[in-house]
Amino acid sequence: MTKPDAGLGFPMERHTLGNGLRVVAAPDPSFPVVAINLWYGVGSRDERPGRTGFAHLFEHMMFQGSAHVEKNGHFEHVERAGGSLNGSTWYDRTNYYETLPSHHLDLGLWLEADRMGFMLDAMTQEKLDNQRDVVKNEKRQRYDNQPYGDWDEHVQRLTWPEDHPYHHTVIGSMEDLDAASLDDVAEFFRTYYVPNNAVLTVAGDADPRRVFEAAEHWFGDIPAGAAPPPVPGRIDAGPVLGATPRADLSRDVPLPRLIVALRIPPYTDPRFDAVDMAAQILGQGRGSRLYRSLVREKRVARAASTYALPLVTGGSMMLAFVTGYPETDLAELEAALGDELDSMADVTDAEVERGRVLAEAREVRGLESMAQRADVLSMYTTVFDDPGRLNDAVTRIRAVDTDDVRAVSRSFFGADNRAVVAYRPSGDAS
Amino acid sequence: MSAGPDRSGPPAPGPLRPFRVPPIHRMRLDSGLPVSVVQVPRLPVVTAAFVFRGAGESAVDVERAGLPSLTADALEGGTTRRSGTALAEALEAAGADASVAAGWDTTTASVSCLTDRWAEGLDLLAEMVLAPAFPDGEVDRSRNQALARIRQRSKDPSALAADRSAALFYADGEPYGRPLRGTEASVRPLDRSALRAFADEAYRPEGAALVVAGDVDADEVREVADGVLAGWSGGAVVPAPPEGRARFEERTVHVIHRPGSVQSELRLGHPGAPRTTPDHPALVVANAVLGGTFGSRLNMNLRETRGFTYGVRSQFAFRRGPGPFTVSTAVDTDVTAEAVREALGEVLRFVADGPTDDEVRSARDYIAGVFPLQLETTGRIAGRVAQLMVYGLPDDAWTRYRDDIRAVDRAGAHEAFRRWVAPERLTVVVVGDAEAVTPALEALDVGPVTVHDR
Repeated sequence: MTKPDAGLGFPMERHTLGNGLRVVAAPDPSFPVVAINLWYGVGSRDERPGRTGFAHLFEHMMFQGSAHVEKNGHFEHVERAGGSLNGSTWYDRTNYYETLPSHHLDLGLWLEADRMGFMLDAMTQEKLDNQRDVVKNEKRQRYDNQPYGDWDEHVQRLTWPEDHPYHHTVIGSMEDLDAASLDDVAEFFRTYYVPNNAVLTVAGDADPRRVFEAAEHWFGDIPAGAAPPPVPGRIDAGPVLGATPRADLSRDVPLPRLIVALRIPPYTDPRFDAVDMAAQILGQGRGSRLYRSLVREKRVARAASTYALPLVTGGSMMLAFVTGYPETDLAELEAALGDELDSMADVTDAEVERGRVLAEAREVRGLESMAQRADVLSMYTTVFDDPGRLNDAVTRIRAVDTDDVRAVSRSFFGADNRAVVAYRPSGDAS
Repeated sequence: MSAGPDRSGPPAPGPLRPFRVPPIHRMRLDSGLPVSVVQVPRLPVVTAAFVFRGAGESAVDVERAGLPSLTADALEGGTTRRSGTALAEALEAAGADASVAAGWDTTTASVSCLTDRWAEGLDLLAEMVLAPAFPDGEVDRSRNQALARIRQRSKDPSALAADRSAALFYADGEPYGRPLRGTEASVRPLDRSALRAFADEAYRPEGAALVVAGDVDADEVREVADGVLAGWSGGAVVPAPPEGRARFEERTVHVIHRPGSVQSELRLGHPGAPRTTPDHPALVVANAVLGGTFGSRLNMNLRETRGFTYGVRSQFAFRRGPGPFTVSTAVDTDVTAEAVREALGEVLRFVADGPTDDEVRSARDYIAGVFPLQLETTGRIAGRVAQLMVYGLPDDAWTRYRDDIRAVDRAGAHEAFRRWVAPERLTVVVVGDAEAVTPALEALDVGPVTVHDR
């Protein structure tokens, strides 16, 4: 059977404003919707000691109004226009996005430009205190009050040296959230929220010329800032852990669970695509090795999965999550997972071929949503300065061969590169 | 550079761009199966879904709660033609992602693929659903997974709050009062023969439907589906929807003791309205104002004014029968009683005074405006079309939806809400540290307080 053309062929154009704001327009008139997406090149990696969690708290402040927009005006205006919106903070970046009926394109750009240019005009201590409480409740809800909720804290502590930017979590600590001041907000804004540290993507029902004109209109007179400082700390942590650090935790959790982190090359490394494929073959879906072996055949795990994170600051992580049954022996589970990691060095052609077909299909289906398409374009532009990578995605997947997957498995899946977090149920505390 | 743009207020919208709800092409296969096709040629992607109306969780007795879910899970254990592993590998080789899951009203089996492999994806999905082998070992494994999942829910505060509040909202014997996927007692005895019998009875063309959305036309769907489903016959019993009787006639407060909780999970609710009520558009609008959007009254009060929570929302769980109306949030333990007071206060005010004209206008614009966004992917289109069939809604409900929403006025939203929500009958459920929260809840005096073990 003949394969369809590997190039996806999404039309796109890019343009850089005088202040350094990179603008990507990806027209698709098939649906009367525009997805507006901004990536700022700042995340938890940029936080100073004593201010963990600040990048995320700052993201909340971006919804508290700006010179011409009321507190929560972003939500009010966008919801009233029949759109949806949000933002998120991660290790390397912070994004803000809204999807709107396309006749409201200018509304979205007005809102984003107002907070990029004039956010500090509307800052107050009261708003900071309110959002600090909201974020602390977010931390309680998503981490502190959840079984296994502290897993990422342990994983990051074990996988990265203390002076590496990935050593601490995105949510940060309660003490550091308490310490955040209005001065911190102002300094962070002036340092990182400058047009030359951002990418604006508009995907959907808007002509590129119109997008560039509107971007110039709303963003053009926002002054460029100084280039953001280098990421603090020591970026180069070495290619592998060189050890098997571990945290054995006895907690009030329902089932034994292992979380194993492997240090892998950063998303920008040419080997990343092969690691990504290895992670899929090993632990994504019912045809994966972990599912077949640990879940279906040995029946020592209720669930097992692996993911390669697309991080860019000096390295990245692959994570394996394996959840046992009440009676599962954690040592046995760890040994079984270890065997599967070891044996990835003999991955077969058939597995890689299947993996390619599945990865291609998922890649295309992931682009059905305009918001997702815009986010991916912002990502490619931020990380590679090349939105066109979107159209090469399938070609890159097809370029990964069996030898590549074997090579990265040998380099990174060994026992000397596993940080192990093991949760043992402590028995019912009630 | 000149003076710069006028930033003083929101820019005027451009001319409205036309949005046409894509037409649904309906037909019936040789097997009697009704099929809906929505041709969406935007990307080379197809989603196909079987919907079985006789296979929802509310179709089985309380003793067999979880049977539809476990049957759905165990379909991946293999077919009469291939093992579970071979089935998983065949799906992957076609680039297909398949899933089968039971909800309250239906079991839905769906597959998403690229267009050039969609027929293969449908064929594998049909094999999985119509020719399951249920090998003993695989059934045991699926059951152990289900039991482990039930155990996980008991330690997850939000799942615990959902399960315990449902049990308190509904009277004994009401299906909606039990956990969707059953309990340890109901799941443990389920064996191969129970699953086999359920699949034989419930996965039948009469009482079912097939929805296909994506880059494919109706003629091709007919040709492929008639081939794949040749010989399939019979009908499943589609049960009457649950009555949904409430457990309590007065407001009561229940604390589920979870020692050491740093937050309290709150649920305030009671049985609500079925999807089929003519009040549906009015309730959607009213709920958006009270707690269905970020800018809702509840979220502005509890989150943005008081900082009690990361978020709060209210919801009508629309099902064939009266699913619950619920206000849900998770709050700092120290402010538990205050949060209950504020949440209840918002519901009381809303029932007494209703929304303002401006709030109703805003909510209508939001709901009508986001409707196209909800039709962006083939998966969401298929889900939306399936709902028409599940709830027995007329063909034009799909195209009329935005007009129905726009026709809701202040009085209509208020009256509908009052018809279905009674603050004096709300059941308040708190999952948290009983020692820390009970005294203040008693002092609040909104109803008798009972403390329950986890």
